[in-house]
Amino acid sequence: MSFLNIENVNKHYFDVEVLKSINIEINKGDFLVLVGPSGCGKSTLLNMIAGLDEISGGDISIDGQSMAGVHPSKRDIAMVFQSYALYPNMSVAKNISFGLEMRKVPKVERDKAVQKVAKMLQMEQLLDRKPSQLSGGQRQRVAMGRALVREPRVFLFDEPLSNLDAKLRVDMRTEIKQLHQRLGATIVYVTHDQIEAMTLATKIAVMNAGIVQQFGSPEEIYDNPVNTFVAGFMGSPSMNLIQAKVCKVEDKLCFEVATADQDRPLLLPIERDQQALVSYLNRNVTLGLRPETITDPGSANRSEGQIHEADLMVKVTEPTGADMFVVTQLGGTEVVARMRSRCGALAGQSCRFAFDVSRNLAFDGDTGDRIQ
Amino acid sequence: MQQNIARDKASTVSESRNDKLIGYLQQHLPKLVLAPSFAVILMFVYGFILWTVYLSFSASKMLPNYTWVGLEQWSRLWNTLTWQISLQNLFIFSVLYIGLCIVIGLSLAILLDQKIRLEGGLRTLYLYPMALSFIVTGTAWKWFLNPGLGLERTMHEWGFVDFKFDWLINSDMAIYTVVIAGVWQASGFIMAMFLAGLRGIDNEILKAAQIDGAPAWKIYTRIIIPQLGPVFLSAFVVLLHLAIKSFDLVIALTGGGPGNATSLPATFMYSYSFTRNQIGVGASSAVFMLMIIASIMVPYIYSEIKGGKK
Ligand SMILES: Nc1ncnc2c1ncn2[C@@H]1O[C@H](COP(=O)(O)OP(=O)(O)O)[C@@H](O)[C@H]1O
Ligand SMILES: [Mg+2]
Repeated sequence: MSFLNIENVNKHYFDVEVLKSINIEINKGDFLVLVGPSGCGKSTLLNMIAGLDEISGGDISIDGQSMAGVHPSKRDIAMVFQSYALYPNMSVAKNISFGLEMRKVPKVERDKAVQKVAKMLQMEQLLDRKPSQLSGGQRQRVAMGRALVREPRVFLFDEPLSNLDAKLRVDMRTEIKQLHQRLGATIVYVTHDQIEAMTLATKIAVMNAGIVQQFGSPEEIYDNPVNTFVAGFMGSPSMNLIQAKVCKVEDKLCFEVATADQDRPLLLPIERDQQALVSYLNRNVTLGLRPETITDPGSANRSEGQIHEADLMVKVTEPTGADMFVVTQLGGTEVVARMRSRCGALAGQSCRFAFDVSRNLAFDGDTGDRIQ
Repeated sequence: MQQNIARDKASTVSESRNDKLIGYLQQHLPKLVLAPSFAVILMFVYGFILWTVYLSFSASKMLPNYTWVGLEQWSRLWNTLTWQISLQNLFIFSVLYIGLCIVIGLSLAILLDQKIRLEGGLRTLYLYPMALSFIVTGTAWKWFLNPGLGLERTMHEWGFVDFKFDWLINSDMAIYTVVIAGVWQASGFIMAMFLAGLRGIDNEILKAAQIDGAPAWKIYTRIIIPQLGPVFLSAFVVLLHLAIKSFDLVIALTGGGPGNATSLPATFMYSYSFTRNQIGVGASSAVFMLMIIASIMVPYIYSEIKGGKK
């Protein structure tokens, strides 16, 4: 039995459809991340779970109980907002205990709960300050404390880290993950950052234009994206999506990809989804190659993958320290390969690339849907 | 050849002098343009303030007379019964005027904030009185409150023969009619100020309060109104200086009467300076009003400037 059940939910503002038949189910203790570009309806969906926005159609239930017509304060949820939404006129302690006070929890218990949460988030020395006297990271902590103190059934986070600087964001991400593991809480978390989604989630719903494009575990989403949107959105650097043609060479199905040298296209043997791809023979498809599946021959994973090597012209190299991203031209677009930092690739020269063809994905050239 | 070089040198020198002049002009043009108006303000505002201060220590009667008499005019001012009544009236008027305007303005703003339809129309409706001059407001209310013409007569005609509302001509109550007219005029404006303040509050804070389980009235009393501190302060300062300067409203509504029952410092100052030939007393009352306003405005402006810098 699923704990949070979003069934066929629709939302429209007047004529504008913002969400279209959303279906998501998660279990108790799951960490669901709603990820997608800005404006795709993530906040709207989260607000509907909270009861802050009305549902135009469908139903949301928590623990088997329909939430239709239930006031936000009666849903046993807590929410952390992007702007933190602290009450500026109240001290940190008051901010944290306000929800308990409204629920008529006696003062002694309130104080105890505030102390406990302050200790958990290491902010005991901040309790008497006003929000305006706190740094961004500290405000973030207070906002989390306000959610934690209530010990709700479901935590809702709306882009809680997007106003923090890069370093703090990574630290808080780790902290949120630890909190989730320690408390075993059920969390719905909205972000537009796919790295946050991958690191935190036990379940991801990738959204675009008001539709859930794919719902699954981070591994499923990463390894088996259902369309080019999901494939391109998840992963950093993002997946190379290039034009290719399915052809037959000596009785073997291959992707034929144009290279910088017009007379010598690259032929990559098809090892995956062969049956489905037979019907695409001599047709154009979109080929998806993750940067980490294209390497230098020395670091290719020969025990697990199936390696196909080819010499290609290097356009640009981008050393990051740990790795080197090597850019070449394939199928009319730039393709990023992830090589060892000392692989010797030089811009303007030819270099040997190793393709792990067992991990290549193919998408319909017109619809962008996965062929499998 | 040598001459040529010398001439070249001379021309570059004069060119660079020209450049200097243009540079000087560019740097100082704004100051030059502003100088005349600055001089005029210096003279007609601050100069006359100083002149009035001097007059309040002089023997001026019908015409300015620069004989120094020290505090004589001031002591005469404080011994004048009308001045004492004026101050008492000012106190009653400003407390009620400011209090009622803020209470009514805030209540209207909260009601309008409930996302009701026709909000745009209603907001304009409430703002209209502020567009009227005080003279028009005063005259309209004079007719409306006049027992022989307005409300009382209408009620009599409708059959409520015992209805009595004669505050306008009752010297104990007349000051309250000034309050009514003043509040009617300014509360729409104060509402607009509060409405802007309410709209400025972060929507997510209200959502958080809803999730925290605060009922609507508690969201207002515990979270929204405490955040409106700056609006309260601005409203207070605006209303207070309107109250102290109130002149035309009283002149149009009651003319300061019956007797001197609705006299205010501003009407007192006018009548002593210009109709009763007591310029010295009038000047000292004017200086006293300036002192009250300054004691409120100076700290306010100072804190605004300091806040702006931060
Ligand atoms: N009150 C509203 N009225 C009309 N359209 C709205 C309203 N709120 C949100 N929208 C629209 O709904 C879409 C989704 O918004 P939102 O859920 O905030 O996106 P996200 O959080 O994914 O960035 C946006 O295109 C936005 O313009
Ligand atoms: Mg959003």
